[in-house]
Amino acid sequence: MKRASLASAVIAVGALVLSTLPAQAATPGVSATEIKLGISSPLTGSAGVAYGKVPGAMKAYFDYINANGGVNGRKIKLISRDDKYLPTLAATQTTNLILKDKVFALVGALGTATHSKAYKAAALAKNNVPDLFVNTGFSGFGDTTKYPTTFTVLPSYAMEAKIMSKFIKEKFTGQAVALIAQDDEFGIDGVNGFKAGGLTLASTTLYPQSSLTDARAKALLTGLSAIPGKPVLVLFGTTDVTAGILKAAESLDLVSKFTWIAGSVGGDANTLLALGVKATTMTGVVAASFFPDAKDKSDEYVSQFMKINEKYNTKGVTFDNTVLQGMNSAMLTVQALRAAGKNLTRAGLISAIESKGAKFAGAGLVPLNYSATSRVGYNGYWFGQLNATGELKPYGGTLAIFTTDSGAGAIEASTYKRPTMPKNGIPTNS
Amino acid sequence: MIKTTPTKKRLLLFIFFGWVLLILGDRVGDLELYQGSFVATYALAITSIILLTGYSGQLSLGHGALMAVGAYTGALSIFNAGLHPVIGLIISVFVAGIFGLILGLVVARLSGPYLAGTTLALAISLPTLANQFPILGGEEGIVFDVGVAPARFGDEFSQYKWFFWISALAALIMVWLVANLLSGRYGRTFRAMRDNPVAAQLSGINVGQLKVMAFALSSGVAGLSGGLLVMLISGVSPSAFPLSLSFAVLTGAVVTGLYNLKGVILGGLVLVAIPEIADSLVSRIGGSEGFTTTLPGFLVSALLILAVVFTPNGPGHLLKRHHHKKKV
Repeated sequence: MKRASLASAVIAVGALVLSTLPAQAATPGVSATEIKLGISSPLTGSAGVAYGKVPGAMKAYFDYINANGGVNGRKIKLISRDDKYLPTLAATQTTNLILKDKVFALVGALGTATHSKAYKAAALAKNNVPDLFVNTGFSGFGDTTKYPTTFTVLPSYAMEAKIMSKFIKEKFTGQAVALIAQDDEFGIDGVNGFKAGGLTLASTTLYPQSSLTDARAKALLTGLSAIPGKPVLVLFGTTDVTAGILKAAESLDLVSKFTWIAGSVGGDANTLLALGVKATTMTGVVAASFFPDAKDKSDEYVSQFMKINEKYNTKGVTFDNTVLQGMNSAMLTVQALRAAGKNLTRAGLISAIESKGAKFAGAGLVPLNYSATSRVGYNGYWFGQLNATGELKPYGGTLAIFTTDSGAGAIEASTYKRPTMPKNGIPTNS
Repeated sequence: MIKTTPTKKRLLLFIFFGWVLLILGDRVGDLELYQGSFVATYALAITSIILLTGYSGQLSLGHGALMAVGAYTGALSIFNAGLHPVIGLIISVFVAGIFGLILGLVVARLSGPYLAGTTLALAISLPTLANQFPILGGEEGIVFDVGVAPARFGDEFSQYKWFFWISALAALIMVWLVANLLSGRYGRTFRAMRDNPVAAQLSGINVGQLKVMAFALSSGVAGLSGGLLVMLISGVSPSAFPLSLSFAVLTGAVVTGLYNLKGVILGGLVLVAIPEIADSLVSRIGGSEGFTTTLPGFLVSALLILAVVFTPNGPGHLLKRHHHKKKV
């Protein structure tokens, strides 16, 4: 009997072996006709509501490019896996992308805690897997000793907090400032940024990811409402929590007590409205961006991406800032693949971005900072106020863009001129 | 042939099996090694369930919590205390075992649905403790790094092979220890206790003490399984131990035979295969995202129901009976 079960176990393992031939391809994920890219991001769960549109947006842009000749004759295939914003799932899904789906590179990995765990678990450094344009502003991802194959794209949370500090000190002098932030590297990055920006906080509340209940939010707001004057309340968290806090304020009738500033991660107006925040609450909320607003049809990138969304994305997906960001990253990815040449290798892709990435065309209103020594993408923000339809309009009427770094560097007014969009949004670079 | 006792036979069998795994490990790709490591880990978790439920008759719906205790202990030993990974894993066995001992003492008077309910409550609440104590790292968790393979194995020795060697070896050793225990006096005593506690007590068996001991042993094994699991994902966090894990492990044990250890590897294979099957089912028949995420859980539940209805004593038990019949 022992023999029988041993035999059955061995046979079972043998079946596993025989069912998959060992893949000894020269470069995984690249064939004569196809390039496979992978993304692990939340598609379901509380974060899925806010960020679930990213893979679809990227895929829509890639389909557009595929319909127009692809990249050096190859079509781009995006494989998307759901990690529900959970670090453990991100680790296994990213590993699956590398081992099972055998993708060439990762694009748009989302989340600080999720991706930092996934990076390690999937041995991305060891396999030299390019990790492009991660959807997180954690400044640590620009550290090449820890993340040698990663390229950030979003300005870091530290940068955002620094520029926010300058903005608050100038526009809201004399008012107390309270911070509510997610208790992980993302939130701590912000806390450090505020410190570097020289802003003294009257109160700092850190909460574990996605766990700020309605009751706790109400208690928090009641406590903060005791601060005299019109305190500035900075919400440095994900959209679901930002919505929760705003709705708690509505029920306590404390909306007008504070000046609300929503950090970039949780400040997407359309998602907040979809999560039940009233339009009247939204009006006047200060938010930061480094893109043109997704409703600004006068912007050439926005209108082109809108057309692509209409034609190539799943029916019914409304064009918003998330879709805009996704398509922009996809556009950067296409330019990176083109720059790496017909003989596509992982190392080649990484050095292509290092040498040519700073010149890539994109919708961002601040420069890209890729170089041989920097993996940092966009590095600045402008501040605006949301109106009742969720559009972000420059604060005070004039667009004022500032750039900085994640450390102790100065905050400077930007004189950057964005490159013109390639014709029809189809890159022709090499 | 040399006269061999069952103990020696078992040892030789395990050594032979270990050798087979070693050779196989060289022949397969990274993906299979990665999956194989999960099989070993789940097989170990199933062993702990068989020890507790199959042999000593105590139902636990919350083994995920015990695995979590082992996992966090291991992570803290390696990351915070800087100990060697092997020491970390050994510590996770002992700490989980002690935790199980205390738990066993607490639930000693409970049985049946009350015991099940208590363990269920534990499974739900324990992982969230991580959010209460900053040292446990919150949702982000703690890094669990067993390091890379020693340099003498060469550059080509992949991380996944290293994981496979560690998890397979740990599982082999632990299952062998448990098999030895269960084939001896303790195994018989546990079974007596499970089948008729009153009669067992009358024969002089200290049922209370043994129940607690079974809990402690089972928790120790579960703790090792938890430690290996988080080794594979390079870090421990609450999301690694959802309630579905406890159910999956219990199902794996029931499906492949709750009453003896012969089916544990098959159980591990089943648990690894289910998400794969779900994946290919979805890609074949399509489905919304909601469908994709709930399908594995649904398959586990369906499997459990089918197993309980058709093979309540497990397929292994059926084979055993057949074997005995043949002998007679």
